[in-house]
Amino acid sequence: MQVTVHIDRASGMHDYSLDTKTQQTVLDALFFIQNELDETLAFRCSCRVGMCGSCGMVINGREGLACRTNLDRLGRDIYLRPLRHMRRIKDLVVDMDEFFTKYRAVDPYLKARPEVHSPIVAPPISRMREDIDVGLECISCGLCLSACDVVGVVSEFLGPAALNRAYNLIADVRDEDLDTRLGLVGQERSGVWQCHTHMSCVEVCPKNIAPTRAIAHLKRKLIARRFGLHRERLTPQQQTIIQEGR
Amino acid sequence: MHTESVDVLILGSGGAGLFAAIHAYDRNPSLNILVVTKGLLGKSGCTRMVQGGFNVVLDPADSVERHFADTLKGGRYINDQELAWALVEDAPATINELETQVGCFFDRRDDGTIHQKAFAGQSFDRTVHRGDLTGIEIMERLRDQVLGRGIRVLEEHRAVELVADGTRVTGALVLDIRRGTFTGVSSRATLLATGGGPTMYKIAAPSLEKSEDGLALAYRAGALMRDMEMVQFHPTGLLAGAGRVTGSVLEEGLRGAGGYLFNANGERYMVRYDKDRMERATRDVVARAGYMEIMAGRHGPQGGVFIDVSHLGAAFVRKTFPGMVQRVKDVGFDLVTGPVEVSPTAHFHMGGVAIDASGHSSLSGLYVAGEDAGGVHGANRLGGNGVAESTIYGRRVGDALGREAMDLPLVTTTDNDWAQRAQHHARFWDRSTGLNPAHLLAELKGLMWDRCGLVRRQSDLLACQHSLSDLESRVEQIGVGGDLEYNLRWGDALNVESLITVSQMIVQSALVRTESRGSHFREDYPREDNRHWLKTVYVQRDIEDGSCEITTRDIAFSRLVPQEFQEVMKNGSIMAP
Repeated sequence: MQVTVHIDRASGMHDYSLDTKTQQTVLDALFFIQNELDETLAFRCSCRVGMCGSCGMVINGREGLACRTNLDRLGRDIYLRPLRHMRRIKDLVVDMDEFFTKYRAVDPYLKARPEVHSPIVAPPISRMREDIDVGLECISCGLCLSACDVVGVVSEFLGPAALNRAYNLIADVRDEDLDTRLGLVGQERSGVWQCHTHMSCVEVCPKNIAPTRAIAHLKRKLIARRFGLHRERLTPQQQTIIQEGR
Repeated sequence: MHTESVDVLILGSGGAGLFAAIHAYDRNPSLNILVVTKGLLGKSGCTRMVQGGFNVVLDPADSVERHFADTLKGGRYINDQELAWALVEDAPATINELETQVGCFFDRRDDGTIHQKAFAGQSFDRTVHRGDLTGIEIMERLRDQVLGRGIRVLEEHRAVELVADGTRVTGALVLDIRRGTFTGVSSRATLLATGGGPTMYKIAAPSLEKSEDGLALAYRAGALMRDMEMVQFHPTGLLAGAGRVTGSVLEEGLRGAGGYLFNANGERYMVRYDKDRMERATRDVVARAGYMEIMAGRHGPQGGVFIDVSHLGAAFVRKTFPGMVQRVKDVGFDLVTGPVEVSPTAHFHMGGVAIDASGHSSLSGLYVAGEDAGGVHGANRLGGNGVAESTIYGRRVGDALGREAMDLPLVTTTDNDWAQRAQHHARFWDRSTGLNPAHLLAELKGLMWDRCGLVRRQSDLLACQHSLSDLESRVEQIGVGGDLEYNLRWGDALNVESLITVSQMIVQSALVRTESRGSHFREDYPREDNRHWLKTVYVQRDIEDGSCEITTRDIAFSRLVPQEFQEVMKNGSIMAP
């Protein structure tokens, strides 16, 4: 199929006409353009199978991964722009530090309880991982941050991916630092209260994660804490689960 | 040019690089550590792309001795036994650390303990996984821990040269891809953990930026290399027409769970190649069988064979392999209801830098971990031992770096010397017109696939060697233009240069090994020759005159002499230690 790819580059919009084959993706088109039509074009990619989250961009107005967006469903005119809310390095390549600065701000790493010495015993039937599992496969591609309307207005807002990660750790019985993280996500300018449930993040997530859901859980926990209903310690059941793993 | 000095320079941010950074830091938090990565932190490279999982002995009914024996048998007994032993011995502690400290969470059985699934070539179901896209969980969590420690990282920087004098390595010249400028980094210790990634084949699985840079760098620096002829082809690379998804792996769990392989005539052809193990034979056997079927004309419309898991039931396939189902759907096929066309795909390089079990190479100050190292897997790697190697050796070498780095001298390089080195890697810029490196790469991929792929013969290898010399000379005609910043064509030029260097090592070693073993199959020497070839092929470059020396050495059966060789050993052609 003959298509025209319109690319928002550092120097303005550039149009490239090319012939595509079935099963090709936006990433294939970019390679063709860079290899054969215009060697100066810059874009970023790595795994090409939706696992690394390096090739996010705005495709015909919506965030997507270039490697998983088939050209067949895009029509004859394809508009490509860099992700929003991140500084452009060159052409379609953005500086993901802006994403990771927010991500880092929630202490995104497990702070293991000292009593966790071996893998916890977590039967699926216990549902203790249920809330985490649905949000675990984030590939930190930044599509959600780009799509988030709030970040466009309140630049301090931590955004969907960071808050989703924070919730995963807060819900994780292995982690010992619930308080610090609840404090971090509860801040007025940057925290969960900025989210207005537009669900743009849910719409664009290539892993079908719903950060809005994690944010709602966080809000609930913060309210519970505000009214003194929040548990400071593990439940006896959770304590047993950790000990059994020993 | 910008220059700096660090205690530990880590090249690569996959499982090996990041685990090493974490362990080196934890052992000695005052170390000045710098991680340099070609892509984004924890996103580029192949640990990220791990699908199937991680082999580890957790079940009391299993044993590390069995894991060891499986690994040697899979490697056709030319593994370095000390390296293979370290792998199986450290695997349980590594999984434990990933789960309890790093923050990974792997799939569970109904009783709440870690689930272990079936993979090929193993006497016990011991592959730990997170769904069928395990690498995401491992790399995201390792990356989180690196962020938490505040370890310094240079993203989208690639090492283009190691500073070596023939006996030691004292740093690396690094190209900042974003700016198009060089940085000279002097280091007490340098860890090569860039991953292999044999992308010099027409159909290949690794991530697209991979170009075996680490192996090329180590070779040029004069490090001793081994087993370079051993390139693994994964049997089930997805065929997706002209799309770049082609070659990506449909994970081994599909065969482990009972998937069938068919040719275009609808025959389960594995019956002719390995009737006992069938589809669960090791990758070398299954990949070659598929290739033979394809070459015999029994292939589908895309030139492949077919994997079929539909008989396992739609609900099971959807639940067990959601990532694979999605990927196949993305390219317009359906894994749940019928056969999907696949081809052998270049996947992993067993060969690499010769190391000891703490990652020391033959050069002082140069440490190697992960796919850049050779010897752990011998002639064929078992599925599930790859991410195990990266993480286990990352830990081990990280510990060694923490202990040893401050005892190594910091030798700085003069500005003039750095500038001269940089000039060499920027030489493509002097030519306003010139060859397109993407075209050279396409040519290289076709050449290696046809002449040095799954089935090899002397005449092809010699022709291949000749063509590689020609390609090498044409690298000097590559022209790069445009802006210095984020110049992809410059990157392509450096990539194809690395790949040609490594291809030459593959071909030279393949010519020397006049037998067939594991992934190396010589049509003119089709038998495994245990009398003469329980040996390692080494390659080493003389950094003075640029010549390449090839030597062979007998395998040291330091821990286990397989039953089947005891007769051969009595006859004295190989020596027990």
